[in-house]
Amino acid sequence: MASPAEVRIDAASEGAAQHAFGAIQREVERIETKYSRYRPDSVLSDINRNAGGDPVALDEETAALLDYAAACWSQSGGLFDITSGVLRSVWDFKRNRPPRPEEVDAVLARIGWQRVRRGARSSASPASIALEAGMEIDFGGIGKEYAADRAMAAAVDAGIRHGFVNLGGDIRVIGPQADGRPWRIGIVHPRDPERTIAHLELGEGGLATSGDYERFFEFEGRRYCHLLNPRTGWPVDGPQSVSVVAPLCTVAGSCATIAMLHGDGADAYLREQGFAYLLIDRDGKILQESLPR
Amino acid sequence: MHEKREMNDRPRNGAGDAPPPDKISLLSAALALPGLAATLLSTVAATLPALLSSAAQAEEPPDHSAIDLKYLYYHDYQPGEGRMRISAPSFHLLAPFADRWSVETAIVVDAISGASPLFHDTLSGASGLGVNDLRKAGDVKLTRYFDRGAVGMQFAYSTEHDYVSRALSVDARLSTPDNNTTFTAGAGHAEDDIDSVNLVARGQHKRTTDLLAGVTQVLTPNDIIQSNLTYSIGHGYYSDPYKAIDVRPDHRDQFAWLTRWNHYVDAVDGTLRLSARYYHDTFGIRALALLTEWVQPVASWTITPSLRYYTQGASDFYRDPPFPQGFRIGEPYSADQRLSAFGAITAGVKLAKSFAGGWRADFKAEYYEQRNDWHHLFGSDSKPLKPFKAQFYQVGLGKDF
Repeated sequence: MASPAEVRIDAASEGAAQHAFGAIQREVERIETKYSRYRPDSVLSDINRNAGGDPVALDEETAALLDYAAACWSQSGGLFDITSGVLRSVWDFKRNRPPRPEEVDAVLARIGWQRVRRGARSSASPASIALEAGMEIDFGGIGKEYAADRAMAAAVDAGIRHGFVNLGGDIRVIGPQADGRPWRIGIVHPRDPERTIAHLELGEGGLATSGDYERFFEFEGRRYCHLLNPRTGWPVDGPQSVSVVAPLCTVAGSCATIAMLHGDGADAYLREQGFAYLLIDRDGKILQESLPR
Repeated sequence: MHEKREMNDRPRNGAGDAPPPDKISLLSAALALPGLAATLLSTVAATLPALLSSAAQAEEPPDHSAIDLKYLYYHDYQPGEGRMRISAPSFHLLAPFADRWSVETAIVVDAISGASPLFHDTLSGASGLGVNDLRKAGDVKLTRYFDRGAVGMQFAYSTEHDYVSRALSVDARLSTPDNNTTFTAGAGHAEDDIDSVNLVARGQHKRTTDLLAGVTQVLTPNDIIQSNLTYSIGHGYYSDPYKAIDVRPDHRDQFAWLTRWNHYVDAVDGTLRLSARYYHDTFGIRALALLTEWVQPVASWTITPSLRYYTQGASDFYRDPPFPQGFRIGEPYSADQRLSAFGAITAGVKLAKSFAGGWRADFKAEYYEQRNDWHHLFGSDSKPLKPFKAQFYQVGLGKDF
């Protein structure tokens, strides 16, 4: 993974710990290999390469991830769209200036989950997907979070009951510390990422944070962050950061991302979801709801 | 205002309007992902011992340049607890210039992940941030050589996200006319700034001044012995800001006496290296380190097995966990395992090979084990903690010019 990963477990013996670490690492690497957009041999690259061509047959896991992506798309009114990654071709966050509006408009024609044709699995054929020419999908906002949940499952299979998996800030708790205390988790300060702005305590479940500080630049006095609205092609403008606690890391991650994409409507969206959250609004004010602490 | 309109007034993409939001539960959707439904049923402060000792200094101006790249991999583990991994690529350059000068520089980057001694167990932030600690360190040393001696000046800089250290040192070497005896003297000063992530230690400082005096004596054509005394005076912040209660004195003087003996054995063309180091400080810690190495060249290979034994007594204010056992308000207190009484053994082997064209390659593996009941010399009653074990692997590639 391109992000730092951390696994902390309490195990009965050194051998058990080593065994569990191995299982976790294998599972995370399996998912990384399968869904990386940087690897030409990944399932994802295969789907993208065939855009404009014949439908690509899907294994069960990939079909399930696409179903989940579809649910996120519907639930967010199209804000969460796994076809929006092509905007990266015009938004270069190293260049420090926004693209011209006509450049963005040209890319919008290649975005839209509603244009993706999917074949359901039947007794005669597997599930399939077909992208129009020029379209691409990626699992940003889902893949790493799913890997954290799956890694937790691998740890439980290996007999682990205490610990957590942290994949670049997307955290899935396996269980509380061996003495029953919850893990203490710091939330990164969105305007000073070397410091924390808050902490919470988690003994189970998932936590993910989405923020406007992961990649951004400032141009003529305004901030352009990497979270792009797929309808407009332009960066969202709203909270600095959203952290969500949910039973699964996958849900926490997509929920936090969708909230950010709602801009100033993030708080209203989060309230409807019913999960605990911590939102840092555009002015740096902390809003929170039923956080465990 | 112009850009604001662009951001909000372009509600369209390729195939017309997006759907109105649908009130589905993301949780029930995610439970359809393979294996995730099943997952709903259901104090670590690993320390990095300072094992990497500094290399011996060259006695003569180098007659060639050298570039070395090394990659260190480290991981440790304690039964039932977490572990830390470190991978550290490093770069070292040595180059003579203008006949009597040399410049030496080294850069190392440590990426540390795992059970670092954070006040928080972990951090959640936008991708790519949060759990890793990066240490970047570099130094540059300039040496001027004379007929019977050398004077060097070194500047070192090291930074972590919560720590900045700057150090300046000078040293001088002078040999007798027969070259059998060399005297060494040095002085250094370091200024450290500490800004802990958890805001416990903000804008704290530490100032340390070191003094060194030593002598190297050639005893026989096959034996050389060296003895160095160092004294260091420090003031400032010594507590560990990531431990809930850790109060240490703001003053620490350290004394160390190192003696080394190298003995060359003609019959097998091998060298025995022995060293002993005694340490004492005003925290009340006494320690002894014994090292033995055998350097055996075999054709273009060099094989160096080594064994190191280390033992220390506890500091005056170390108290066994759990807190608040032994804690008194206003008095120094620490339960840091590094200040407890323990002993440790390091066993290692280094393989080096030289190739045509000035190329060199080496590989080093070390095993480290630390136990509280190995404090043979400075025994006290530190409660036995779990044994601490670590492995290091280092590969290096170098070229001489």
